[in-house]
Amino acid sequence: MKTANKKVTAERLVRDALEKAKHFADYNIFTFLNEEGAIKKAREIDAKIAKGEEVGRLAGVPYALKDNFLSREGETTASAHILEGFVSPIEATAVKKIEAEGAIMIGRTNLDAFAHGSSTENSYFGPTLNSHDKNCVAGGSSGGSAVAVALDIVEFATGTDTGGSIRQPAAFNGIYGLKPTYGTISRYGVVAMASSTDCIGFFTKTPEDMDLLMSITSGQDSKDMTTLPDYYNEDSEMSSLADISSLRVGVIKDFDNESVDEEIRGALKKKCELLKSKGCEIVELEMPSLKYALAAYYIIVPAEIASNLSRYDGVRYGFRAEDSEDLDGLYENTRSEGFMPENKRRIMIGNFVLSSGFYDAYFLKAAKARTLIINEYEKAFSKCDFILTPVSPNPAFKLGEKINDPVAMYLEDMMSVSLNLAGVPGLAIPAGKNKTGLPLGLQLVGPRRSDKKIIEFAKELI
Amino acid sequence: MKYTPTIGIECHVQLSTKTKLFSEVDNDARGKEPNSCVSPVDYALPGMLPRLNGEAIKFAIRAGKAMNCEINRSSRFDRKHYFYPDSPKGYQITQFYAPIIGAGYVELPSGTKIRIEHAHLEGDAGKLTHFDSYSLVDLNRVDTPLIEIVSMPDIHSAKEAHDYCKELWRLMCFAGVTHGDLYNGNMRFDVNISLAPEGAEKLGTRAEIKNLNSFRSVERAVEYEITRQTKILDAGEKVVQETRGWSDATGKTTPQRSKEEAKDYRYMPEPDIPPINLTDELIEAEAAKLPLMPVDYRKRFTGSINNDILEILLDYPELMRKMSEIDEKYIKSIANLFTSVLLAEEKSVEYLSSLPDAKDLNELAQMNEQKELSSTATKEVFLRLFDPQMKGRGAKNIAKELGLMQENDLGALEAIVDAVLAKSETKKAQDDFRNGEEKVIGFLVGQVMKESKGKANPSAVQEILRKKLS
Amino acid sequence: MKIAREDIVHLASLSNFSLSDQEIESLGKDLEDIIGYISQLNELNTDDIEPTYQVFEMENVWRPDEIIVQEAERESLLALTKEEKDHQIKVPKVL
Repeated sequence: MKTANKKVTAERLVRDALEKAKHFADYNIFTFLNEEGAIKKAREIDAKIAKGEEVGRLAGVPYALKDNFLSREGETTASAHILEGFVSPIEATAVKKIEAEGAIMIGRTNLDAFAHGSSTENSYFGPTLNSHDKNCVAGGSSGGSAVAVALDIVEFATGTDTGGSIRQPAAFNGIYGLKPTYGTISRYGVVAMASSTDCIGFFTKTPEDMDLLMSITSGQDSKDMTTLPDYYNEDSEMSSLADISSLRVGVIKDFDNESVDEEIRGALKKKCELLKSKGCEIVELEMPSLKYALAAYYIIVPAEIASNLSRYDGVRYGFRAEDSEDLDGLYENTRSEGFMPENKRRIMIGNFVLSSGFYDAYFLKAAKARTLIINEYEKAFSKCDFILTPVSPNPAFKLGEKINDPVAMYLEDMMSVSLNLAGVPGLAIPAGKNKTGLPLGLQLVGPRRSDKKIIEFAKELI
Repeated sequence: MKYTPTIGIECHVQLSTKTKLFSEVDNDARGKEPNSCVSPVDYALPGMLPRLNGEAIKFAIRAGKAMNCEINRSSRFDRKHYFYPDSPKGYQITQFYAPIIGAGYVELPSGTKIRIEHAHLEGDAGKLTHFDSYSLVDLNRVDTPLIEIVSMPDIHSAKEAHDYCKELWRLMCFAGVTHGDLYNGNMRFDVNISLAPEGAEKLGTRAEIKNLNSFRSVERAVEYEITRQTKILDAGEKVVQETRGWSDATGKTTPQRSKEEAKDYRYMPEPDIPPINLTDELIEAEAAKLPLMPVDYRKRFTGSINNDILEILLDYPELMRKMSEIDEKYIKSIANLFTSVLLAEEKSVEYLSSLPDAKDLNELAQMNEQKELSSTATKEVFLRLFDPQMKGRGAKNIAKELGLMQENDLGALEAIVDAVLAKSETKKAQDDFRNGEEKVIGFLVGQVMKESKGKANPSAVQEILRKKLS
Repeated sequence: MKIAREDIVHLASLSNFSLSDQEIESLGKDLEDIIGYISQLNELNTDDIEPTYQVFEMENVWRPDEIIVQEAERESLLALTKEEKDHQIKVPKVL
């Protein structure tokens, strides 16, 4: 990662990034460009550098912030109409930590409203285009962040991953994207989607950059009771990679069929050959419960969404529908106008699976299925050190192709959601391109708290 | 027909922790400006997460122990969903599936035991003030920790309902988990009541009366409901299952509007708060912090304090703690003194905020016993002992400074008596007494008292007078 | 699973949405498809399996009972609402 110094100033880095952002305006990456704020901060850092003061490990590095992170710069909208006009008086813990190291936010990036989607087409601000083919989707929900990094506008971007929202757009754009172990990075100040699966993570161009960002942002936060004490920067068996020739890498048999794009399966086989040549053992895994992960996910997650999105009611902040005669009218008008169709689908599904009479058959059943999925991962990791799988069943698809078929869109997540249900980390890694030039991506999965090891191992897969 | 009322009560107790249940802001908003005790978490900004106050867990353990309840080793929080501006998150964080406090019982002064089904921790709601065309929202009370205590339907009369609520209030105050300020809504009661023909096994249809905030209104509301439901049943009609509100002004309950779909709260396990798993050590440590409770005081003072007086004093935990420091032989007289203050003095609350030292009280009682102070003078010194500026002066010194000590020295008294008898205006009375007019002794004692400026011991004076005039 | 129009209306009311007829129709179809998909969980045997609600490994995460100055207080919070009166949030009348 290029940091600022006396020769290459922070202002130079920031101006270059802003210029590139404008150059790629037609990709619809940013919901807000932080021109004034970013240049002001860059000058402050340059002044410090000139005086020889400490400037941090990310000094002057331009980055892009997914628009569901609260910060005082620009409106935090989560690409949703209902948060229009919301300028946060507080800052997310992750933002605070990154910026304390000198990184400079040059813009907020587009997402599927409230991160509901796998293509960034569900944004109130319209879709973001794929970095390699403007007719294709960016992936989602963190589409804007992925494309900002893939087009080399910024060095890194933040993302959130509830069921694949970092890994899938990373794969669609040929970069690295990490969903850490649940609880590694504080969720404080990040617009909640599904509390029990939401993870904060990053997009980078190299595993080394990912490692740096993880070591800066991981750790316990008194403002998020579900954060783990910093294990990432601790030396332990979980964080150090053993001799590569002693490693066992699992591949999931259940995913090796026509439901997955042939070229993606080919890319997976090629990486396996590479690993074998380095002395790794490839282990075939049977994980039959994973087949049900998507159904369980689309019960648990909508339930938490319905709950977490109850606070958007027009009363205290954001959009409020005008001319409502009474309170009920205010609620209904604000929420009906303020949410996108996919938000409404998920909220209604959530309220369905939680409603009396259906709770046991759906929510409770899914919570039990979740236990089976966790058990299956535990069993798998007794047989191997990592699992290597596709991120999604196909490379980036055409804009509009799946937007009117929610179930087809959900199937995009079939190989990513089980990690979120189990709380295990997964790193999307680039794995070449297909015949038409679209990037192919794979994900490396490890047991909980093996994040550092995964990143180290990814270096072996380049 | 004769009917048996069956009553269950849910009681909300606001805990007196320093900060709220899920944020580090002031939990005591009494007398503070609207929305001045509100954090971004209480305001439910996007991305805000609850931060559980460990003290509230400990308070709940103590509250549970005060009601002889089982404390559940494993408990967790759930979300209860409803839309209303008093609930910024759109849900209340409560404990629906696994509450912290299990079954127990509360023993009433009558000895009747009312079983507790369970009690759980939850956050309170904010407050709305309604005007003609709009409403205003104050979030100060949002997520003040509450425990909701759910009784079994073991209550069968208005009086019992009153006594149960009052006893709960005492238990919570003694346990030190609430300010117990009913005027400010620190405790609120929801009463479920149904009537069934005497001897019937099946319970009748119940009505729920919500949000009662005094023992008296609980009692009156139950009385009203018994009358109302009796009339309905006697007329051969059916009681409607509904929520009703009580008005102190009209003395009536009336049906409350309820949205029909509002009943489906869609409870869901709270994913932002890790589960609670209590160790025996922690539970025992909290239980050990409980001071003596009403039941202990009843055992201890039965016989030495009249029951009616004891029940008055039991409303004041600090006072009871003071009573336990009083010498056994003075307990009755000190209890009577306290009762006279509580019943008669207008500012009894102020008095109670500065209780006298036990040492002074014992000294005072001793002086009274030894006839160094008349009963009037004893009460006067007693009242002075509450004055913070009198602290440490000692009862005897105060009595002396006020010139209230009785003259018990027989020689000195005789001299005063002689002086009075020598006065010409007492001659007639002396003659009358000698002639058998017993009642004039009162006049002569009075004259002596006057001469002694009230310090003479009247019974001693009478004795001397009788001797001299015989 | 067939979903009746009144079920959609009920779910909309639980969600506080007022839906147009067209939305009721299109959402109805979508929800039917989605519920059809998630209902395949019925195939999975979950007898004697404990449910998982959180994948966080810790318990008893509590904070001390001490007042802390907050990152945003009354003025900056109320500045976010559309209508404020007497330091309170103003909402239309409650029927």
